[in-house]
Amino acid sequence: MSSMDATTPLQELFDKEDQTAPDTRSVWRRHQLWPYGYMAPVLVALGLVFGYSFIEVVRYSFYAGSVGQLTYVGTANYKELFADPQFTHSMFNNFKLLATVPIVTGASLALALIINTTFRGVRQYRAIVFLPYILPATAMGLSFSYLLQGKGVLDGLLHSLHLSFLIHDWLGSPSWVIFSIGGVIVWQQFGFGVVVFSAALLSVPGETVEAARIDGASWWVVQRRILIPQIRRIIEFFVILQAIIVLSSVFTYVYVLTGGGPAYSSSVMEFFIYQNGFENGSIGIASAAAVVLLAIASVFIAFYIWVRVRATKQDA
Amino acid sequence: MMLGFVTLPIAGSVSGASTKTTITYWFWGESDIPGITKWMQQRIATYEAANPGVKVDLVPQSNTTIIPSFTLAAQSKTGPDLDTQWATLPTILPALGGAVTPISNFVSKADTAHWLNTNENTYQGKIYAMPLYMIGVPLVFNKKLFKEAGLAPVAPATWAEFLADCKALKAKGITPIGMGNKDGYFGAWMFAIYEKQMLNSISQLTEGVAGKGGAETKLMASLKSMYTSFQGLIKSGYVNSNVESLTLDQGWQLFPEGKAAMSFTTDGNVLSWAKTVGEANVGVGKPPILGKGALASTYDVTQSSDEFITSWSKNPKADAKFLEWLHEPVNMVALNKETGAFPADNQFPVSDITDPLARALDTLDTSGTSVWLENYIPPQIDSDADLPAGQLITSGSGSPAAAVALWQQQLSLWRTQQPTQFKQFSTWAAAS
Amino acid sequence: MQHVRNVMRQLLLVVISIVSLYPVWFMLSTALKSTKYYTLDPTGFPYHVTFSNFSAVFHNWPILLWMRNSLIVTIVAVGVSTVISIMAAFAIVFGKGRGRESLFRSNIALMAIPPVALLIPMYTLMVTLGLINQLPSVMIFYTGLLVPFSVFFFVNFFREIPLELVEAAYMDGAPHRRILRKIIVPLSGASTITLVIVNAIFVWNELLVALVFLQSNTSRTLMAGLALYQGRYVTNEPLLMAAAFFSILPLVVLYIFGQRFFVRGLTAGIGK
Repeated sequence: MSSMDATTPLQELFDKEDQTAPDTRSVWRRHQLWPYGYMAPVLVALGLVFGYSFIEVVRYSFYAGSVGQLTYVGTANYKELFADPQFTHSMFNNFKLLATVPIVTGASLALALIINTTFRGVRQYRAIVFLPYILPATAMGLSFSYLLQGKGVLDGLLHSLHLSFLIHDWLGSPSWVIFSIGGVIVWQQFGFGVVVFSAALLSVPGETVEAARIDGASWWVVQRRILIPQIRRIIEFFVILQAIIVLSSVFTYVYVLTGGGPAYSSSVMEFFIYQNGFENGSIGIASAAAVVLLAIASVFIAFYIWVRVRATKQDA
Repeated sequence: MMLGFVTLPIAGSVSGASTKTTITYWFWGESDIPGITKWMQQRIATYEAANPGVKVDLVPQSNTTIIPSFTLAAQSKTGPDLDTQWATLPTILPALGGAVTPISNFVSKADTAHWLNTNENTYQGKIYAMPLYMIGVPLVFNKKLFKEAGLAPVAPATWAEFLADCKALKAKGITPIGMGNKDGYFGAWMFAIYEKQMLNSISQLTEGVAGKGGAETKLMASLKSMYTSFQGLIKSGYVNSNVESLTLDQGWQLFPEGKAAMSFTTDGNVLSWAKTVGEANVGVGKPPILGKGALASTYDVTQSSDEFITSWSKNPKADAKFLEWLHEPVNMVALNKETGAFPADNQFPVSDITDPLARALDTLDTSGTSVWLENYIPPQIDSDADLPAGQLITSGSGSPAAAVALWQQQLSLWRTQQPTQFKQFSTWAAAS
Repeated sequence: MQHVRNVMRQLLLVVISIVSLYPVWFMLSTALKSTKYYTLDPTGFPYHVTFSNFSAVFHNWPILLWMRNSLIVTIVAVGVSTVISIMAAFAIVFGKGRGRESLFRSNIALMAIPPVALLIPMYTLMVTLGLINQLPSVMIFYTGLLVPFSVFFFVNFFREIPLELVEAAYMDGAPHRRILRKIIVPLSGASTITLVIVNAIFVWNELLVALVFLQSNTSRTLMAGLALYQGRYVTNEPLLMAAAFFSILPLVVLYIFGQRFFVRGLTAGIGK
């Protein structure tokens, strides 16, 4: 990154971030050696876990077979990957899960705005709403697998509420299953959004809102024209964070709720890699899929960095 | 308490004074034979008491972990000393990949001669694994519910009779068939029972899997035909409507709960369910005949699962001694008494079986040749093609053509991603 | 009008609270039922409470062993990653020399890498090192995974420490080691706790890596053990729910007592 051409826009943005940054924080005048020693352990850890892995996963993607029995196949794995309906379907499932992002963002933002005052119990409510976020997906997934079973608890509830037309086989219907998993994700991430946006709203200067109120602005206008724009940066971070989560941290739910089924319909890229690489021992194609996942993640990461840098730029 | 908690010894790696041999045993069997895990735990207790230097650590597996857990372990060549896998290819292929030490290396011919169906796991003169029990997979039906629907309490012999029975049951509001396919095993059984009936020989299957030109096309055609009939059952509403969100074990609860009139299940389950439903109400029969292949008249008895020693086990002799001991007549008799299972041992006096239902099952089991077709596909094809293809049908999200396309795609993926295993399979198939 | 709004707001909050808590309640109420009772009435209140499921899990499952494994792995991974991240963040913020800013930016990018992409090479590495089924394998991997966010977190925090404190110590002739130990670390107390909690939750809840690296029953972590036993006991819902409840209990208890730490830590780095 530091060896990039100074004229590229990205480098310019990084330079801008530099202007708010650090060398000004060092009290030492002369060149020091100890910082290198202090950074070394982290460098070793990152080099091993990330650096080594990046290189090897790319290398393995050109081979086929199991550990210890690899044969070179060139780019065949990639061709096979994109011709594999299970992979493309997994990829599209990750993209389908992106639909949860506006839902979680919108719903949690709405609630944060609604409870953005002090009233009795607001802290307790926030605590309750945040609880799902810290609970292990494995255990909650187990609970949901019974709640969402065909003719299970949710269906029973809908029936008793005379909403039988809404009854589905939530986890057994290939067209619904990924959205059911999305629903569980929304359940867990919602509280996180509420807390994040609540904290952000608290840091909006009270005078701005007061001034608007004095000018006669309605509640709705205050929310839309004042508060939301003020916390826009936080909203952007949150959206990208959710997108990254949906891309790379949903394995547990798929594994526990559906095992990728029925017939691969709820498989996501993480699950494809796990199933091919570990349940079948086919390291080659799993590595190729991992490389593709990394490529997609890089796009999201680049976007994330761009948003961060743009935010810093606007601050300066 | 805190301190004690933290110093909990890791079983099996007690260092220092003890010279105990620990045998880690990844065991599976409960789905076939309810109660067998308890039987095994009691055998272990007896064995450990008689052999104080040995400890057996039993780790029961589930339907979803039995294959993947072992594949994972085999990659790092660490893990269990003893493992259970399903018979023939799920055992033979890992063996050819170097994960199994043949048990015949440690047990004399005189002793292995008592074991039944060892041919299912024999290759090039070596017996790789030991059978414990034999099961058949009959059609079980509830005589009381049949009578309620105005049907004679007789098992349907042909597919047409089967459909007619289903129709009558459904008309009376009774769920005709109770199964579960969330884990894919209803579909797998349909493959094992009904695809077999389409074929004239097992080599028609293995040659198709090996990709030999005409054989593969023929195999795909017969699969399509089988899936079409399977789809017919689902579309007509003859199977419980939540079949897709219940696992096989969960779907099987419907019959003993009186909520389904028929099911395909194992001998062991039939006897267990008879206790709940009432033995007078339970009837068994061969699965109704659909196909016209030469194999259509065979039944489907198999040892189903087998026990073997892993190649990385540090104490194979001790492992073999324990396994062999399980076949002691006293243990085999106990297995039958406690679970109703038919031991895979010719020393077991079949005349001991007095229970009429058990006798009926035994008659079916010994009625002629048997083939359990699922034994003859590579485990990866079983997990990744067989199981999901059936799910396409039960969930209604795929046509028989789509199911067949899935088979074809997974076969070609397996051949390219597991070239060594594919070679081993082809050699084995040619030799069998 | 305002009153109506307040009532509606309360109503909304009550509904949302019920939805948030119901899956946990379902877990607990199922765990308190016998299998017979559950089959008859899956959703109703557990009038005939039984603790037999909890004791069955406790006595028949190696759940304490799994918890112990999870605890050891969490403590080591979080401990090591926190220490080395503090050191690196200190160097990045207060040090002098090249590469500091690049290291910081690398960590920002690495924060979002999907662990599954690293899993296969890490796995084959552990196979070669003979560390499969050994706790150090996951400790190493988790440590690496926790570093990017930890470094990011501490750098942001250190950048807000008043420079005068450091300058004063420097003027007094304190070497870098002393500045770190006597000034920075004490100031970071609360922040470190929040980071530790966040990271500990990640490690405790993690499934995929633990599933792959620790396969033997004695080395399994709690979540992996729970996921694996699911298949075996799929028809015994109360038993499974009892085990699941065991696994969330430590977190729930910690949360009730230290909720603000959770909140602060988990939302760190989002805003400024």
